[in-house]
Amino acid sequence: MTTGYLLQQLINGLVMGSVYALVAVGFSMIYGIVRLINFAHGDVLMVCAFSAFAVLLVFGLPLWAAVLAVLTVGAILAMLIDLVAFRPQRAAPQVNGFITSLGVAILMQNLAVLLLSGQPRPFNLPTWLRTNLDVLGARMTVLEVVTVGLTLAVLAGLLFFVRRTRLGIAMRATAENPTAARLMGVRVNRAISTAFALGGALAGLAGLLWAGRAGQIDPLMGFVPGLKAFVAAVIGGVGSLAGAVLGGYLLGFAEVFFVGLLPPGYGSFRDAFVFGLLILILLVLPNGLLGRPAEERA
Amino acid sequence: MRFRSLLAAAGAIALAGGFLPAQAQEPIRVAALYALTGGLSSLDGPSLKGAELHVEQINEAGGLLGRPLELVVYDTRTDQQVTATTAQEAVSAGVVAGFGQSDTTFVMAAAPTFQDAGIPFVTSGATHPMLPTWVGENMFMTAFGDDDQSYAIADYAYDTLGHRRVYVWTDDSMDFTRALTFFFKERFLERGGEIIDEDFFMMGDTDFSAQIARLEAVDPVPDAVFISAIPSEAGLSIRQIREAGITMPIISGDGFDTELVATVPGPELANDVFFSTHTYLADDRPEVQEFIDAYTAKFGHPPENSFAPLGYDAIGLIANAIRQAGSAEPEAIREAMTATRDYPAVTGVVSYTRENMVPPKPVSIISVQGAQFNVEEIWRPE
Amino acid sequence: MRLPMHSLGRHHLAWGLIAAGAVALVAYAEGHLSGYERTVLGFAGIYAMLAISLSFSNGLTGLFSLGHPAFMMVGGYVAAILTFPANRKGFMLPGLPDWLATVQWPLFPATLAGGLAAALVAAVVGFPVLRLRGHYLAVATLGLIVILRTVVNNANDVTRGALGLNGIPRHTDLWWILAWLAVALLVCWRLKHSSVGRSLLAIRENEMAAACMGVPRARAKLAAFALGAFFAGVGGALWAHLLTNLTPGSFGITLAFMLVVMVVVGGSGSLVGAALAAVAVTLLGEALRPLEQAAGAYGLVQILIALLLIATLLLRPQGFFGSAEPSFLRPRPRAGAADPGAPGPHSRAEEREMSP
Repeated sequence: MTTGYLLQQLINGLVMGSVYALVAVGFSMIYGIVRLINFAHGDVLMVCAFSAFAVLLVFGLPLWAAVLAVLTVGAILAMLIDLVAFRPQRAAPQVNGFITSLGVAILMQNLAVLLLSGQPRPFNLPTWLRTNLDVLGARMTVLEVVTVGLTLAVLAGLLFFVRRTRLGIAMRATAENPTAARLMGVRVNRAISTAFALGGALAGLAGLLWAGRAGQIDPLMGFVPGLKAFVAAVIGGVGSLAGAVLGGYLLGFAEVFFVGLLPPGYGSFRDAFVFGLLILILLVLPNGLLGRPAEERA
Repeated sequence: MRFRSLLAAAGAIALAGGFLPAQAQEPIRVAALYALTGGLSSLDGPSLKGAELHVEQINEAGGLLGRPLELVVYDTRTDQQVTATTAQEAVSAGVVAGFGQSDTTFVMAAAPTFQDAGIPFVTSGATHPMLPTWVGENMFMTAFGDDDQSYAIADYAYDTLGHRRVYVWTDDSMDFTRALTFFFKERFLERGGEIIDEDFFMMGDTDFSAQIARLEAVDPVPDAVFISAIPSEAGLSIRQIREAGITMPIISGDGFDTELVATVPGPELANDVFFSTHTYLADDRPEVQEFIDAYTAKFGHPPENSFAPLGYDAIGLIANAIRQAGSAEPEAIREAMTATRDYPAVTGVVSYTRENMVPPKPVSIISVQGAQFNVEEIWRPE
Repeated sequence: MRLPMHSLGRHHLAWGLIAAGAVALVAYAEGHLSGYERTVLGFAGIYAMLAISLSFSNGLTGLFSLGHPAFMMVGGYVAAILTFPANRKGFMLPGLPDWLATVQWPLFPATLAGGLAAALVAAVVGFPVLRLRGHYLAVATLGLIVILRTVVNNANDVTRGALGLNGIPRHTDLWWILAWLAVALLVCWRLKHSSVGRSLLAIRENEMAAACMGVPRARAKLAAFALGAFFAGVGGALWAHLLTNLTPGSFGITLAFMLVVMVVVGGSGSLVGAALAAVAVTLLGEALRPLEQAAGAYGLVQILIALLLIATLLLRPQGFFGSAEPSFLRPRPRAGAADPGAPGPHSRAEEREMSP
């Protein structure tokens, strides 16, 4: 096991972790503000991936158009889902939202299969993104560098947004206590819509990167990212944005390491080991990595 | 029970009425069980389309025994419980035969029900050589067995490509891919080759970077990597391997028989890929071109993969058996199926000559260069 | 644990009628319906039992467990290995110890063994894991499904790995399912309306207060979890002997979600509601299938069910029965006695069900 090999696996983990972090943080944003496990998050990702496909490979428009498309489609779709499915349920028990989002997810998946057929389609970003670079002896494609860089930039931007801008602060206020926020003049519904829009846009971006990395899209591709987002967000501590990011990276590294560092024969145990690790973490830190036991309601 | 005898009486009266045009006769109902939604839909969907094409052709030519052929289609949703329940439904609906399913695991959820009811079931796409032994005399296969195809590709790799040291990747979540690897290793080692090591992944994985890093680190460089995967991972693995700059040949079985193997990597990367599959592409028998033309005319695009002609052939085998038997009774169909010899299927001539009831069918070795498929060799069984 | 048995109340009559109706239905079905129809009814019954047990462990106790499919897998495989024909068992499952390879049990002891094995696994796993709450518990139990599936998938000599077990003798019929359904309902009902049930409810409402009142939290949660797992194991065993086919992929994450859906739609904490929702969803799915076939639009059934689900929750967020059992099935409470099945001062608590 050479240092070159280790470095390569490290980079793999970093890239996978970045994509997971992006999906997880969008998921966590929605959870933080409305306490809703949004299972349709993965399917928003799927729709955005297909939008990018349409823009790039059907209409032949340049890359920036695809980026714009995924951000816009993601934001609008997420807001729409909130308006139609979740807003009427604000007062209902939490688990209802979970189930409603499940219903929306099933709806989206089956509509996509019905309208687009279940066949996978090739998805290729422009070639310059797929060229290999030499990074300290290991190999990275331009897309991988972009993925990591973009993720970090987006996260920094998010941090700034929720700390420094009015809308961001309004969102945090709403997340803490919607009633008090409303009393203080915060436009709660607008804050919530913004959260959904941001979450959806992040899902869209993640969809573009995920599809570009894999090279293939299909109507059921959202299930796995959605599940990983859920797991990563929970491990990081539900409702904590930084935690979601941490959870995403942890998941990415764990997946790569359990395949890359154990003898090859253990590759099929990867998912079991990853979950085993996660359960162990939860046993030591029952509220996730950065979660607060703030949900104790007496 | 009363309904059945009523139906029989009606049928008898109709038959007694003399020769009637196909449209006015009681249809012969055959169940088609396919996963039209869910993970296997990219295989089963085309199979059903191929079958529907054939049914249309048969009915336009006057039907079977003067009666129209009717497909009763069930979506098995890539779900074992649904597959088993729909098998029950089909059997209770009074079909005379059933066919469908491209994967061994799901065939095993449906076929035993047909076996118990004494109704023949023909799998269009499943390839495990033990299927007829496991299920019983009502189980029929349209395709070759995994042992045949794995031996064919192993021999090709050893003899023609000159490979001696191969690395193996296996999709560990599916029985089909495991069987493929098992038989490949058996043959390759028997011939004197060496299996360097094995890596695993799961159906649904989209990222192979960890396995690729390990493959890159093998020293000296292997002659080839054998990847046992189904279509949804086939294109992905080739593309990611090639993108990493690994140029060693990639070999596989019929799980690679999909246009995704060419389109996902694209013309620059889809090179030096070799796989064994059902013979139909670039086979110059007239049945093949007629099928491709008819399929394209009906659906507006050529067959997506080799599972389309397999579906066409499955219902073809049943129709042939009905004609040979001169009867549409399940027992008669079964006997005629067992006695099938030299049926000119699109995917190769079918005869159930072996004791294990796995049809000895020709295996094509296909190469992919610059995203173009070429038939390198056709291995014909003795 | 005492129930007011002083007189034959209205609820006794209601239960009696329901029992008679069920027996009549099963008798008719076994005699007159086709194999397919009986299979569908069979699954409806199994789902009902699963939903009842999940309603008990999740709804009543407030645990957010997605682990039912894992326990179904344990119960299913254990029972199947026990009932598998001895003449084939030896070469199909070479890794089994001799005493296992030669036995061939009938359905009832095998089912019982399956349920107990599942309960054992739950007890062992629950010990550390039940300290977690809410979504954290959900992820941990989800992990259980994945881990167990990987183990079964790789233990080729004992479970035949990815190929799974097939040719399992089709022992399950509607009588067995009805019997186990009745047992599950009886046990969960009695426990729910007893001090045990009240302890669990107290834990759900406010764990800290419950601890202050002397409720043995850890043991109670473990017991509820294990009980739910027992019936899940039984459900898995019955499932295996209805389908005759079992693979590591038989019980997955989607099933876990579907069960939670049934519990919530029926009303968290309402056993009868969960059972009815389970039956309704199963039968609806089958009834709508001809529609899908006729239209050639595959996926339509899923879409319709999803729409119905969303509509139901929008129109009736507490589920059909909320936390209460239908009033005609409950004994009329004596003056002053608390009835955990009825709404009342607890209603606000329903809003905080399953909060993390």
